[in-house]
Amino acid sequence: MTIIILLLGLGVGVLVGLLGIGGGVVLVPAMVYLLRMDQHLAQGTSLFILLPPIGLGALREYWRQGQVDLRAGILCALGMLFGAYGGSLVALPIPSRHLQGLFGCFLVLSAVLLWRKAELKSKGRR
Amino acid sequence: MNEGIGRDAGIFLVAGLCGIASGMFGIGGGVLLVPLLGLLFSFSQHRAQGTSLVALIPPTGALALVAYARDGFVSWRTGLFLIPGVFLGGIVGGKLAENLQPRRMRQVFAGILFALGAWQAFSAWWR
Repeated sequence: MTIIILLLGLGVGVLVGLLGIGGGVVLVPAMVYLLRMDQHLAQGTSLFILLPPIGLGALREYWRQGQVDLRAGILCALGMLFGAYGGSLVALPIPSRHLQGLFGCFLVLSAVLLWRKAELKSKGRR
Repeated sequence: MNEGIGRDAGIFLVAGLCGIASGMFGIGGGVLLVPLLGLLFSFSQHRAQGTSLVALIPPTGALALVAYARDGFVSWRTGLFLIPGVFLGGIVGGKLAENLQPRRMRQVFAGILFALGAWQAFSAWWR
């Protein structure tokens, strides 16, 4: 089981660097299905993993190429700090079953947004 | 790119929305932040990804984590085992992103997310 967890982390990490995301979006369903966790427990554990700066190594690679808007990044961090607390207060009283369903809807929405971004990019400038 | 209070305020608001999703679903929020920075503020893809990583460096989920931990919804042991892999994988991914055509990859990822999301919603509500 420990081996599975270590490998899962490595796989998610590659996505973190490739896509500039936190990885929780993949970790949560992976923990629910592979590790048989309850939805709330998977979400709480995912937040714990995001606590240390796991994206630091990936960030260094982007920084070296000048692909970082520091000012916008700091603003985003501030907004997310407070937003996340509000979101957790909403989620905790929701029954696990419904939370899992909502999570699924959220993933579908994110997928559509990501896809749209990819489409626009292909039509516009490189 | 127009600098200014309006743009700053807009970014802050959008990040706040991503934060709500972050706390509700226990994720980093980057998966929303990256496309939104691109769609609303015309960041290039690499720049949106690099900037999203900045937002993930400070413990933005800390307050939300406290709320989950209070209710006993954190598996500390599993988390500890996941962290080193995610960190090392992140470096590999960052190097790969320099050389890869990111559009195809993102489409594949969007497809996977879509399937994963549909499956989760289905197994929660219709099984």
